[in-house]
Amino acid sequence: MGAQYLIYGILYVIAVLGALTVLLCRDTVKSALALVLVMLTLAAHYFVMGQEFVGAIQIIVYAGAIMVLFLFVIMLLNMREREVMPWYLRHWRYTAVLLALLFFTLVAIGVGAFGSVELAQARPRPAPTNEDIFGLLMTKYLVPFLLTSVLLLVAVIGAVVMGRRADPETGEEYLLDQEETA
Amino acid sequence: MDPTFLYTLILSATLFTIGVIGVLWKRNAIALFMNVELMLNAANLAFVAFSREFGLMQGAPLVLFVMTVAAAEAGVGLAIFIALFRSRRHIRADELDLLRG
Repeated sequence: MGAQYLIYGILYVIAVLGALTVLLCRDTVKSALALVLVMLTLAAHYFVMGQEFVGAIQIIVYAGAIMVLFLFVIMLLNMREREVMPWYLRHWRYTAVLLALLFFTLVAIGVGAFGSVELAQARPRPAPTNEDIFGLLMTKYLVPFLLTSVLLLVAVIGAVVMGRRADPETGEEYLLDQEETA
Repeated sequence: MDPTFLYTLILSATLFTIGVIGVLWKRNAIALFMNVELMLNAANLAFVAFSREFGLMQGAPLVLFVMTVAAAEAGVGLAIFIALFRSRRHIRADELDLLRG
């Protein structure tokens, strides 16, 4: 039991440090890599909790696909600009931190109240297996499951439409920016 | 009640709060987007923690749906940023106020 708490504590520290790096690092690439660290920590958390399927898709989809897309776009845009802060943003940031801490207090109070209440059905039941999960996806959630594929298709088409650019004179569409290479 | 359940909820709340600060803090639109992803991850963790604590099966399918929507959002959003960067040469979120009334 003690080893389990130790694992949870280590995962907590790594995840929070990674998230703070995402927040405070000015270099976007380092920020993205710290976010990959946070996602892998969460995947480890899912494995410890006995939810292997969620941990696996966390690594494959989030850390593998989405973050690589982020890094690719960061590399493509190559933003190297000095951070010159407008005066109004400096005050705004203090307000933002204050508001977020207020939000955290609210959530912590809610969690504390939730933890003190003994719910009637709070008896540990067997954790859902992969069979349960996919059975649910193929029966009760079949229509939403199919709709996600339509959503992904629409997103792919939308990304292609947004990503390409039409020639202002001829109206001809091309994928690569020809003005810059010329 | 399992004490690790509370640990997990606190971790989820902490990550979500850092994500909220980041969304309000960052100027670079891509960095802002990454903090939104952090908030989605925190919500996923809470989903899994609740479904495990109460022995429900709905947690993992919901996480699957959230991930799909996040992937679609990242794809379209980053394409919009590329298009914006082409026309404006920057993606500072506080200066993109074309739709402000």
